[in-house]
Amino acid sequence: MSAPRRVLVPAAAAGAAIASLAALALLAGASPLDALRALASGSAGSRAALGETLLRSTGLVLTAAGACLALRTGVLNIGLEGQFLAGAAAAAAVGPALAGIPLLARAAMLLAAAAAGALWVLPAAVLAAKRNVPEVLSTILLNLIAATAVSGLVRGALRDPVGDYPQSRALPDAVRLAPLFGGGRATAAVLLAFLAAALLAVLLSATPLGLKLRAVGLAPAASRAIGLPEARLKLLAFAGSGALAGLAGGLEVLAVTGRLYDPFSAGTGYAGLAAALLGQAQPVPSALAGLFFAALGAGSSAMQRDTGVPAAVASLVPGILVLAVLAARARAGRSAP
Amino acid sequence: MDGRRARFRSARDARDAGLALVPQHDLLVGAASVADNLALLDRNAPLFESARARRARVTRLTDAFGLELGRPDDRVDALPVGTRQRIEIAGALAGEPGVLILDEPTAVLSPDETAALFAALRKRAESGAAVVLITHRLAEVFAGADRLTLLARGKTVKACRIDETTAAEIGGLLIASAEQTALSEETPKIFLEGEEGEEPPELPLGAPASPDLNHPSKKSTARSAAGSAVSAVSPFTFEVTRRGTNLEVVGFRPAGSRAKQISLSLSPGELLVLLAIDGNGADTIAAAVAGLQPFAGSVRVAGAALPRSGDPLAFRAAGGAFVPADRREEGLVLDLDIAENLALPAPPGRLFLDRTAMRARAAEGMAAFAVRASSPAIRAAALSGGNQQKLVLARELAGVPRLVVAIHPTRGLDLAASAAVRARLAGACGAGASALVVTADPDEAFLYGGGVRVVTRGALSDLLPEGTPPSTLGRLMAGLAA
Repeated sequence: MSAPRRVLVPAAAAGAAIASLAALALLAGASPLDALRALASGSAGSRAALGETLLRSTGLVLTAAGACLALRTGVLNIGLEGQFLAGAAAAAAVGPALAGIPLLARAAMLLAAAAAGALWVLPAAVLAAKRNVPEVLSTILLNLIAATAVSGLVRGALRDPVGDYPQSRALPDAVRLAPLFGGGRATAAVLLAFLAAALLAVLLSATPLGLKLRAVGLAPAASRAIGLPEARLKLLAFAGSGALAGLAGGLEVLAVTGRLYDPFSAGTGYAGLAAALLGQAQPVPSALAGLFFAALGAGSSAMQRDTGVPAAVASLVPGILVLAVLAARARAGRSAP
Repeated sequence: MDGRRARFRSARDARDAGLALVPQHDLLVGAASVADNLALLDRNAPLFESARARRARVTRLTDAFGLELGRPDDRVDALPVGTRQRIEIAGALAGEPGVLILDEPTAVLSPDETAALFAALRKRAESGAAVVLITHRLAEVFAGADRLTLLARGKTVKACRIDETTAAEIGGLLIASAEQTALSEETPKIFLEGEEGEEPPELPLGAPASPDLNHPSKKSTARSAAGSAVSAVSPFTFEVTRRGTNLEVVGFRPAGSRAKQISLSLSPGELLVLLAIDGNGADTIAAAVAGLQPFAGSVRVAGAALPRSGDPLAFRAAGGAFVPADRREEGLVLDLDIAENLALPAPPGRLFLDRTAMRARAAEGMAAFAVRASSPAIRAAALSGGNQQKLVLARELAGVPRLVVAIHPTRGLDLAASAAVRARLAGACGAGASALVVTADPDEAFLYGGGVRVVTRGALSDLLPEGTPPSTLGRLMAGLAA
């Protein structure tokens, strides 16, 4: 894809997003300008708004990074949602047990979350390598299992003995991350997420391992014939992708919710995949797409409050965007030599 | 077309209007059967057609054009490239197009099939159709064409009726223009056009029009673009062990096949050409040795036994190098640049890629193998077929291999590029490697300078005496007595 196109496609997509938002606001009987203004101020107009956007972006940026790693290696990991839940459950299980030593608890939660995410994708990776089971199917099915497992855990093994709700024990405040700046809920977790995306970009473009991963993603048959350990590299991409999604789940518990409950995720893994598609599997653009989705989510409640346009309208936008980008790419693919 | 301006929105559109193209690399639907692919290609196929009718088409086309198309229910992606190319050709002919364009259609055909194809093309031309044949084989031009256009770098070098020129003249122009393209990435090609002609096709089977051009001697090899390649000094120094065998195959057959077991061995410096029509098992032997197909029996590369399940890594670890049949699918990562392709499978650098070392390696490889591109940052996809093949060789021969396995290494290349590729393989053998080369071109078999064996239905012939005429080779390939 040529450089102007790399800029043009996201720019056109952003234009399409704003246009479709305006049209939807009009349909809801509000002034499009007012709706967009409310959306903007609700996502970045104040410290609280900005904090909300950054808080929401953490999981999206990390799952988008996981999706990028998988897509670039030619692996279709649709199971980020399940890996996110596995990471959250592992963090919620480990955290309260180590509550006495906050630093250790945090480290253990993040490690456990990443490991759980990587383990959750493993069945799909092994089935794909050994039995040619399409990972699109197996990872989606593992999402359903993960959601059911979370539902079972908060009613069983991880249930908080105090209280009536099916939820896990709360993390003490000493373990939970403190806000990054006054007046907003965002924590250092968001920095970690962007750091991970930046590191992934470097890994893919500037390391020997990254070159091998990209080769496998671009030309699997050639990679096999050249003598690249294709199966091992794909397994690595699966596991790394799962670990990033698991980390997202762990940070959600550590930084946002403090505990596990049911239903826990509002589709973070799917939205992260959409962000990666919008960012064309490039880690940094995908992280920015994740941030944009987070801003839409944060701003939409302000839009509903101020102009009466339903918040759900904003959640249509990511879908419209991804379709627009995929259509643009298909067109570009057809006209390319 | 037919005096009217035609505008096509898709290949289907063009085909429906009576313009059929047989591409150099087939564009079939891999997951579909032979019968379904032919139904898609045939513009006269009805909208709804029973499976039985689709199968019947395969048999009908096989008989009509003398092309072996595989079984109707075979999945196309399981078939060798030669069969796939024949399916494209049969599919194009089936629609009785008014304009038929073929891009290097004979690269993987046997002499008999080439003869059958030319007979079919002549028949099309005589029924009033225009046939355009893009080829680099002079014998084909002078066997079947009415007019020829010689193109180099997109410009017409010569255009005339076939009876106004000679093979020697065109061959001379061809080599001269190949030398002039030193800085370009284009490959010179001959365009051969057939129209309502009178003379019956003289087939490229027996005596080619100009033996000295179709069978360039080693002297002419050194004179063409290969000259620079031959004199290039390898950047690597190494010691040659001339003891032992570099390849030992015992009791081999493809996994699950009932073919006769074969055995062969290659000592250092030895080059063996397996000459076969695609689908007869030569490419399977080569692919299995390279670790890309499971097999029964034993394969040892430089003494190391390879796992029967097929393991390209074990093949490489033992000192194997592989030049696959399909350079675009298997040889290169087209979306990576030249330097990145040359850096695989073990890119330099510990934590970070050593871009300086990659550029240096690319510059060396490009110079040593005469890869023509303005910079190592050019994507492999942007190179011509000849330059892509030289890039594959630059990567594969850089690591001082003990054994080079090459399938159709000169397919679709012009005279100069083919000679360069052969010189490269011979050079590797001179340095102590062994080479196993698969080709379907009897004109080319002895040009490698090694032994030649014919493979028919998985069975291996004895070494053939040098100078066996291509016509005899062709009959052996077809399974007939010499």
